[in-house]
Amino acid sequence: MHRRTFLFSSAAAVAGTLLPRNAGANVPKPYSFDIFPPTNSREAFIGWMQSNRGENPNFLGLRWSRYEVLLRNKDLWEKRNTRAFLMTPREEFVLKQNLGRVYEHDFLDIGYGVTISGPHLVSRMTSTIDVKLGEKVLEIGTGSGYQSAYLSNLTDKVWTIEIIRPLASRTRGIYDALIDHGYSEFKSITSKNADGYYGWEEAAPFDKIIVTCGIDHIPPPLLQQLKPGGVMVIPVGPPGAQRVLKVTKEQGPNGQMTIARSDIYNGKIVPFVAFTKLEGDVIKGTHNQ
Amino acid sequence: MSLDRPGAPGLGLDIRPRPYLYLSVGLVAGAVIALQICIMRIFSVGSWAHFGSLVVSLAMLGFGLTSAVMCIAKSWFERHWHGVAAASLFLFGPLMVAANLVAQQIPFNAIFLISDPMQKWRLLENFLLYMLPFLAGAVFLGTVFLKAQKIFGRVYFADLTGSGIGGLVFLGAMFLINPDNLIVIPLLLWFVGTVLWFEAVDHRRGSFWLVACAALAVAAHFTLPDLLDIRKLAVSDYKGVAYARKFPDSARVYERASPFGYMEVYSSSYLHFAPGLSDNAAFNLPMMPPNAYLGMYIDGDGPSGIIRDLPPNETDYFRYLSMYYPYLIKNAPDTFVVQFGGGLSASVALKNSKTVTVAEGNPAVLAAFQGDKDLRDFTGDILHNPKVRVIDYDGRLYLAYTQNRYDVIDLSLADSAGLSNPGGFAIVEKFSYTREAMRSYMRALKDGGVLSVTLWNKEEPPKSVLKLYTTMAAAAHDLDGDISNRFFVAASYLSTATVLYKRNGFTADEVEKLRAHTRAMSFDEIYSPGLVYDNAKTAEVLDGYKNQIFFDAAPPGDEPKDEPPPDSPAEGSDPNQPASTVPATTMGQLTWDRLVHGGWDDIARSYVFDTRILTNTRPYFAAYVRPADLPRITDRLELFQDEWGYILLWATLAIACITATSLVALPVIFGWRTIFSHYPGKFRTIVYFACLGLGYIMVEVGLIAEFILALSNPIVSASVLITGMLVFSGLGSLVSERFLDRARQTMPIIFLAIGALLIGYGLFLDRALDFIGTFNYWLRLVFCFALIFPPAFLMGFPMPTAMTSLARLGKDHMFLWAWGINGCFSVIGAALVPILATSYGLSTVLIVSGCAYLLAMMAFFAVLLPLGTQRPIEAAA
Ligand SMILES: C[S@@+](CC[C@H](N)C(=O)[O-])C[C@H]1O[C@@H](n2cnc3c(N)ncnc32)[C@H](O)[C@@H]1O
Repeated sequence: MHRRTFLFSSAAAVAGTLLPRNAGANVPKPYSFDIFPPTNSREAFIGWMQSNRGENPNFLGLRWSRYEVLLRNKDLWEKRNTRAFLMTPREEFVLKQNLGRVYEHDFLDIGYGVTISGPHLVSRMTSTIDVKLGEKVLEIGTGSGYQSAYLSNLTDKVWTIEIIRPLASRTRGIYDALIDHGYSEFKSITSKNADGYYGWEEAAPFDKIIVTCGIDHIPPPLLQQLKPGGVMVIPVGPPGAQRVLKVTKEQGPNGQMTIARSDIYNGKIVPFVAFTKLEGDVIKGTHNQ
Repeated sequence: MSLDRPGAPGLGLDIRPRPYLYLSVGLVAGAVIALQICIMRIFSVGSWAHFGSLVVSLAMLGFGLTSAVMCIAKSWFERHWHGVAAASLFLFGPLMVAANLVAQQIPFNAIFLISDPMQKWRLLENFLLYMLPFLAGAVFLGTVFLKAQKIFGRVYFADLTGSGIGGLVFLGAMFLINPDNLIVIPLLLWFVGTVLWFEAVDHRRGSFWLVACAALAVAAHFTLPDLLDIRKLAVSDYKGVAYARKFPDSARVYERASPFGYMEVYSSSYLHFAPGLSDNAAFNLPMMPPNAYLGMYIDGDGPSGIIRDLPPNETDYFRYLSMYYPYLIKNAPDTFVVQFGGGLSASVALKNSKTVTVAEGNPAVLAAFQGDKDLRDFTGDILHNPKVRVIDYDGRLYLAYTQNRYDVIDLSLADSAGLSNPGGFAIVEKFSYTREAMRSYMRALKDGGVLSVTLWNKEEPPKSVLKLYTTMAAAAHDLDGDISNRFFVAASYLSTATVLYKRNGFTADEVEKLRAHTRAMSFDEIYSPGLVYDNAKTAEVLDGYKNQIFFDAAPPGDEPKDEPPPDSPAEGSDPNQPASTVPATTMGQLTWDRLVHGGWDDIARSYVFDTRILTNTRPYFAAYVRPADLPRITDRLELFQDEWGYILLWATLAIACITATSLVALPVIFGWRTIFSHYPGKFRTIVYFACLGLGYIMVEVGLIAEFILALSNPIVSASVLITGMLVFSGLGSLVSERFLDRARQTMPIIFLAIGALLIGYGLFLDRALDFIGTFNYWLRLVFCFALIFPPAFLMGFPMPTAMTSLARLGKDHMFLWAWGINGCFSVIGAALVPILATSYGLSTVLIVSGCAYLLAMMAFFAVLLPLGTQRPIEAAA
């Protein structure tokens, strides 16, 4: 029965992702880290993205609305990160049946017992490690691929590891298809199917590490592969109710390494996620009202 | 008023009271209870147990629904009883199989219950499907009750005894049959019950069709899944074991089904365990030993790590685990490990101790480690190591009564399989962590001995660790007045927390050693003798936590854009600045400061969550949200995913109350003026049966939890209680018939006795059970049955006495309705128990049920009012 379950879910998952993406539209203009979509108005953003990236205006509208909420909730606070969120087509990384909820605050099922994290968590975690162009970033837990796609809009050196083989190849397939369609930024993502516990020795050391899967301790190899002064983030807890542990590695004057644990609010107590409600692409107050 | 004696002429029975009749009722009732447990097992293994409780308890409303319908359409049922009974019986078995197969195909995914609007409908579909077979069973039993109402006492005896024995049969079957095929047990009981029914009503031709029908059902269960490529038991992709199955190199090395859970062990290079590992291990250890673990899963939950027998040069990393602490200050100790689990703490102990005594209360775990060749090889046969002595029952019970004394007692991450259970944790009794248990551990220490307790510290705001702290402090206070130098506490943020208690207190040297180690490991010091807590942070941390959970939304749109928030990490990440203390650490320090020096109560009151201690009557790491705060969290349930087990209880209770009252109201709406117009005392009759329904189930469910104290296993306890209660009550029901004529005199005495017994049990039972726990297992079982007998026997009286009286007085509608009211309130009672228990304790559950029986006593006389009495109130007064 167990084999059967497995076949069943993988078949379902594959069927679920091979969507007719954006009616096969190719990205009209070449990618560069210097291009910025306008952020002065929704219309300007959608118009620019349509003509420069060839994306679907409905999803662009939803993306814009979520962007406004992210800003208000302080999950984005800096221009490059803002750009990365706006440039990453999240709709390409979810299952067809969840397309209607792709920009909602919730995490979504992507098959294999794996979720794609909600936009607030992804933005908060990514903003926290403050990736600069040219920095080397390692992601453990490729999952849907959205997180690495987002990172590839911040730096041109991204490595990502996924433990579940069929998921790893499915996501690789998504990247490749998107690259064929002109999303050349995804060429900077190197991915493999392996146990992320041991990091990626050949590519180490890394400036930043993002772990998106749970474990009872921080894998020592990852701490070793983090550069001094580097930052790593790891969510702890069940999906949807995760705290994000921030780990910084520091080198003392005598060469002694120390690791400090905090959370991504630097010890301040902040409501973790503001429960902003998004209906369609209109913000309808918050869940508290 | 004269009541007929059973069997006497003029009884007007429609069914001849043959043995076959009773046997058939017993078996069908047994099938109903076996099906209940079966569905619970299916949910435990496939998703999460608490969803099973929700579905099953609500499905039992099928009995209420049946009674309401039969009450309204009584004459139709009386005319067609033969056909109705046969048809419902025919359907019962096939519906079990069909409902299960269909329900297993529903893509219900508990973890998206809140975020995905479809999921609640899928849960509803589950409930509706699983209710179908219960409806069939209920219609059959209802029809038999209706036609045999004048000998209700005997039929009821058969019903109860059959249920009790059905539970026992199912328990036995769990040793032999894997969860996905357990449904054959209720199917078998149904089949035999149905054959006997056709004997009882002389309808032998029915048996032929029955055999065909049963064969089809069995064939469907065993062949359809393969033919249609569907699942018999769908295991959620989010269960721990589902991941293990997906690791490319994973292999199942052990599998065993038993009532103690469906245990599987997987091997894979992808399994890594090092609970509470210091981050500094990365810079001081050459490497972590590869392939050091197997993953153990019970009912698909886990993994807990089973550690390989590591060569000495690979065990260096033990030093970096939080459970290593006691060995810093104890040289070659005699160590006691309270729970073996997967063996990690036993291995750490073995490496550092002169002798190790290890206890394990789960026989399935012991059987695996002592019996299975592969596991013995992998673990170096640790349980047969000459330095190791094994206690094959609960360490808590052993330590409470042994004369032996130990240098180190370790309780590390016991039964905390899985780090985060995405489906939430069910409410389970943790008797190993109660004040009474802690006291026993502390007493079992030699002079200068150390008790070390390690717990996951993954909650923010902290929940379980605060309960651990308060509980251990309370236990220490029971032994000594001043506890200020008895404790040392260290924690790692979002990892583990370890509390050390030293008999007679730590010396200054030891404190220095422990502090140095804490620094070397980069753990946070939460308490040490002499640590000064900075009071200035108190208000900030308490308010901060309140705000974190009960925040009001910020008014939208007023923040400046494109600017980092003032506290943004981007600004503050100056590597030369030490990271500020996280609030959880401050909260821990504050807690210990007040626990030791006084003033904790005030802090506890202003903390966001309930931090009351665990006791033998309230042994729960659960129910952190105070009931009064529940309305404020309904819009942010995602933040409480680990507490869904608890929150679902409230949901179950709410749904049960609404549905049950509507079902009870149905006949009222249809017939208060017509059917019931000439029934006197109807309101008090409702109260009577409601109290019985509520009281009985509360005793049963409450005692299941409480008896774990002595039996140390929830499954054994449930079986003992289900069997004991139902069989003894069945006897009571049989005996009650003799007192029927004297009911007016005897029943008040019986009610008083029940009330007194239950209230007495509420007050003293935990002590008795704790003591019983020290005997050998068979004696424990005997004592437990002896304790169950008196209340259970007496609790068998009220229901049949009242039902038979209604029947003989000709109050037929009331008879049917009463049965439904009783059923509906059972559902409410079952949901109420864990809520009462977590908030007020198990003793309160028993006391409340005692009161329910006393209230029933006052309403009893209304049941005896004859039809047509015009002024019923005075008549009964
Ligand atoms: C929450 S999901 C990732 C979400 C993903 N970043 C996204 O944006 O969709 C976690 C992922 O980590 C993967 N994972 C778990 N353990 C791993 C390990 N040891 N090494 C690599 N990947 C792992 C899981 O299979 C899963 O795909």
